[in-house]
Amino acid sequence: MPDYQDEALIAELRALGSQLDVPEPADQRTVIRARLTRPRHRLRLWVISIVAAVAGTVGAVAPARAAVIDAVDGLLRVAGIEIRREPPSGGLPAQPSPMPSLRSADLNEARRVAPFPIRLPTTLGEPGQVLLADPDPAGAPRVITVTYRGETVRFDQFDGAVSLAFFKSAAAAEWVEIGTNSGIWLPGPHPVTYVGRDGIEHTETARLAGPTLIWLDGAVTYRLEGLKTLEEARTVALSVK
Amino acid sequence: MAIELDDAAAVTKARTGDLDAYEVLVVRYTAPAHRAAVLLGAGADADDVVQEAFVKAYRQISRYRGESGFRPWLLAIVANETRNLHRSRRRRDGLLLRAAAQEGPEPTSPDPADSALAVERRQHLVDQIRLLDPRDREVLVCRFLLDLSEAETAVTLGLPKGTVKSRTARALKKLRDRLHVGEVPNA
Repeated sequence: MPDYQDEALIAELRALGSQLDVPEPADQRTVIRARLTRPRHRLRLWVISIVAAVAGTVGAVAPARAAVIDAVDGLLRVAGIEIRREPPSGGLPAQPSPMPSLRSADLNEARRVAPFPIRLPTTLGEPGQVLLADPDPAGAPRVITVTYRGETVRFDQFDGAVSLAFFKSAAAAEWVEIGTNSGIWLPGPHPVTYVGRDGIEHTETARLAGPTLIWLDGAVTYRLEGLKTLEEARTVALSVK
Repeated sequence: MAIELDDAAAVTKARTGDLDAYEVLVVRYTAPAHRAAVLLGAGADADDVVQEAFVKAYRQISRYRGESGFRPWLLAIVANETRNLHRSRRRRDGLLLRAAAQEGPEPTSPDPADSALAVERRQHLVDQIRLLDPRDREVLVCRFLLDLSEAETAVTLGLPKGTVKSRTARALKKLRDRLHVGEVPNA
């Protein structure tokens, strides 16, 4: 009698619910009020332990937020990239591993297999290496990296609407406008970790990144690393076509 | 405060920026939100989830339509924050129901529900719930452990009501199958 068994199990689950020992919640009235009375448009720097992924998540409450830039106190997000405003915890691997299934290709092949049109800056000279990382089963890479100026400048692009791909910890970061798009400028060195398609952080890829500009254009997220000033980075970003 | 605001009145005032009115909701729903966060797997981060949920709820309060009540609407944000926590923190199996593992018989209580056998059975049940697919687990946690209605569960998990119904049936069946494996029937 399946119905009876269901009934019995339901009764047991209900009883379990009332028997579980859940810790006392903290009284957060003061903290919540303080957060709600702070002006929102200013960039704030403090530590927060909440981490939420962006974009493409099937949240019931935040559909409008997918694939856009969002700042939830202490947490900056550009589609596919999340920045925690906190000092990095723990050390970085001495020899960071490359991103999963990284391989080099030429630009034509990259354009053929990429899941979106590849765009490149025109002011950085000739591209150096072209790298494709973390392909899907059909072979479309998730992240395309092109290096410039003897590998000192790195230009990543990926479909920001898909899911979280990089995770950064940075103590300093600022909102910037790149033409009509918003972005984030990280002026100092900061740890960056690749987050796989499965949402798992690949800690072995953690490495210290140089100054980085991140922006979203259409559905593609761009990440430009290695230019020392925001002005320089912005000029390069605006030349992307 | 002389007059207790009901949810709808508190929401209306909060929409105009009345933080005192919003605090009424914070006080009223901190405990249920926290419990939901714990049982959905936020573990030690439950307080952070609750804080974040209340901040977000306030900022999205213009989107609150009121058909389902404030509690499930808030719990939907809690559930979402908890999922996000898992996604970015590799805690996919979470700390769900760990609290249950700490339970033991009450020394002062002769209640048969606290017999060693009952405790063992409960722990077994908890273990099997933890092993379910997260979607099955969530629906069982909402429906029975948190004792939400089908409609409230639908809002909390962002699912159509029909899906809650079918998923509940499926989850119960899977759980029953799990419980029957390696166990004396009718124990």
